[in-house]
Amino acid sequence: MDYLIFSLSLMFVYIGLAQLLHIQFGMAGIPNFGVVGFWGIGLYGTGVLYVNYGVPLLPAIVVASVLSMVIGYIMALLVLQRSGQAILAATLALAAVIATLVVSEKELTGGVQGLGTIKFPFDGVDSRNLIFMLFILAVVLALIWLSSRLRDSRMGRQLVAIRDNEELAASLGKDTAATKRLVFAITCGFMGVLGGMSAPLHQFLVPYQLAPSLTFAVWIALVLGGKGHNLGAMIGVFVTFGLFDILIETYAPVPAEQAILLPNFKLFCYGVLLVMIIMFRPKGILGEDKPRVADAAAGKG
Amino acid sequence: MLLIDAIFIGLLEASPLILAAMGFTLIFYLNGFMNIAYAESITFGAYFAVLFNVVLGLHFYMAIIPSMLLSGAFSVAVYLAIFRPALNRGVGPTEMIILSVGVSFMLRYGVILVVGPENLFLNEPSITYLRFLGMGATNLQLVALALVLLAAGVLYWMIYNTGLGEQMRGLANNRELAMASGINPHRTSVAIWFIAGCAGGLSGVFTGVFAQVTPYMGWNVILITMLVTIVAGVGSVRGAVIAAIAAGILTAFITLVTKPLYAEVILLTAFIGVLTFRGARTA
Amino acid sequence: MKLEAHNLTKAYHMHEVVNIEKVTFGAGGLEGLIGPNGAGKSTLMGLLTRRIAPTSGTIKLDVGSGEKTLNPLKSHEVARIGLIKTNQRIQGFDSLSIRDSLRLAATPPQDEGLMSLFSRKRDSNEIEEKVARLVEAFPFADRNGYAMSGGEKKLLDILRCLIKEPKLFLMDEPTAGLPEDITRLVMDMVREKVQAGRMRVVVVEHDLPLIWEYCDFVHFLSEGSILFEGKPEEVKANRVVAEKYMGV
Repeated sequence: MDYLIFSLSLMFVYIGLAQLLHIQFGMAGIPNFGVVGFWGIGLYGTGVLYVNYGVPLLPAIVVASVLSMVIGYIMALLVLQRSGQAILAATLALAAVIATLVVSEKELTGGVQGLGTIKFPFDGVDSRNLIFMLFILAVVLALIWLSSRLRDSRMGRQLVAIRDNEELAASLGKDTAATKRLVFAITCGFMGVLGGMSAPLHQFLVPYQLAPSLTFAVWIALVLGGKGHNLGAMIGVFVTFGLFDILIETYAPVPAEQAILLPNFKLFCYGVLLVMIIMFRPKGILGEDKPRVADAAAGKG
Repeated sequence: MLLIDAIFIGLLEASPLILAAMGFTLIFYLNGFMNIAYAESITFGAYFAVLFNVVLGLHFYMAIIPSMLLSGAFSVAVYLAIFRPALNRGVGPTEMIILSVGVSFMLRYGVILVVGPENLFLNEPSITYLRFLGMGATNLQLVALALVLLAAGVLYWMIYNTGLGEQMRGLANNRELAMASGINPHRTSVAIWFIAGCAGGLSGVFTGVFAQVTPYMGWNVILITMLVTIVAGVGSVRGAVIAAIAAGILTAFITLVTKPLYAEVILLTAFIGVLTFRGARTA
Repeated sequence: MKLEAHNLTKAYHMHEVVNIEKVTFGAGGLEGLIGPNGAGKSTLMGLLTRRIAPTSGTIKLDVGSGEKTLNPLKSHEVARIGLIKTNQRIQGFDSLSIRDSLRLAATPPQDEGLMSLFSRKRDSNEIEEKVARLVEAFPFADRNGYAMSGGEKKLLDILRCLIKEPKLFLMDEPTAGLPEDITRLVMDMVREKVQAGRMRVVVVEHDLPLIWEYCDFVHFLSEGSILFEGKPEEVKANRVVAEKYMGV
């Protein structure tokens, strides 16, 4: 049961990350390949404050997330007005820098020895892990709700316009660079929140957690589910993490020798799925999504 | 003295990277997207070397050419099976990169499932230590360096001095015009992917013999390969060579002066800096 | 609003494409800019809207409440001052319907911030009315859907600019790609707004009859310089214009 709670909690974090990536890439057209970096700033920032300085968990998460937001804003200033490939490479590089710094600054982060232990809040309460899981779920549901509000709002429309034709949007008076920076910084900040919340889940932090695999898992889930659809993130994570990491890895009866290869089989399948989707149904399982707006004039608008 | 150390070590370390960067840039130039699955060209080159050198018992030096050629053939197969159909469907550059990540996962974890996750070792030829310009190096390293420089030279010559290279540059710059003047895009593409695959494979063979053969070896260097390619600018194979050499020397230099990890941080930060000032503008 | 350019030049690789000592746009109501191909009309338009950076010279905007130098401004700042230009090549937002495209253009940027996530209604009645009036006035194939043909997209491009109520409206070859009856509808609407004092317009065109019919003032550009300016009758009768352009 505890293991199921742990797996579900992780899954909710992935859904949250994929939802934020949907806003960044699906809505604003920003290909962020450094997801694990911003999540990692939240994770290790929270860990360092909690373990080294005794800051309680929730304030630590807030501070770490603000740092993640600031770094997101700086990256936005530096590279967001460049080509998609440049943004992809720069964010990938940023995540690598963060992972490397975590290893090199051993006095602060424990380096490869790791950092711990981070415990759930609400000391002394039974089922703290369950309560915390519900807390994560609440945050992720809020993110999904905010994301749908964004899609239906004037700001969301501006983002779509920027994604479709940024120069044209600017010629109509939209400050596209500022809007992109704002959206990117805030979503990176939320990635930091999810990272901070992952700290008590993992309990003991190691630099290996900052490997690019997390970024790619989130991307695969998003592309599979449909990057343009508000619920694409959720569906994608269900189909990848939910199906493989929870259902198959936990419950499928597999003999021990094969079981070691299971994670590799999972990643192999992710690769196959990704190739299939991009080749045959690039919009993803759910396809695209249109804003739900009541049209004052006649018709669907 | 430090500088000469750095240059020498840097060149030695950078030699596989130079080849990888050239191959990666070729594909980027011809087809307009960054092929992350190129990492597996490198990895597969090393695995093919294991096949010839360890399984079939060939001497290491005899295993190099077949491994390289097989790697090139494999690269063409992947192109024909996946990347060309995708391009024909009109998949855009960012989605192509995502697709290449999928291919990379498929190949890498496929290898682990089929061959096993253990690290493998190549049978090195006998090692003798030599002194070269006051530095210590093994005969193997010097052979590697020589072969790499030779391969790089051949590649360079092919791109800038032959008909094939001209065809490739024509296709990359203006596809319709090139096709109208009789260039066959299919044959040229196949040739380029073959050459790029060979370059990657050769890179993998040497990386494998200097260290070990692991399923992740290509994946581990793809980031720096991308970095070097972007710094060089799209399609400048010349630039890719220079950037790869510079990266190798810079890394060696910084490593000699501070912690090796800081070298990575500085390199990556410099990378972000280059992108800030050079990555093509959007608006 | 008036645009004044002084000593404006633009050179590409040592080849001078535009070289204008002084020109004023916007003083004469509905103005026309004509000239042979390669005269530099598109470059001049790009310079005026800051899409292209000048090699030298200044551009000043007289917005009535004072002067503003145009040179250091960014694309969106230019638009916010009230200087809007249509696109010569077809441009659009593929994901936005006709109405959404117009709503986007009509919505002021300050209403598109984070707070808009919490608005009860996305677009105000005022904006919906403006959009409806424009959409109903033109024969789109699917008024509740998307712009289909190249002509519809061109038209939508013009309407997006119009709904922003520009102070100075630059129209870059509006007839290209539009059927004649639609062009007349557009120009009639434009002339109405100019006569009501709500905006000034500069039309870049090859279609000379259109220029003679609608414009109050015409500038003639050739080989990068303004060779002649005046009322349509004067320009029509001018010998230099006749030689360089109308091939007489």
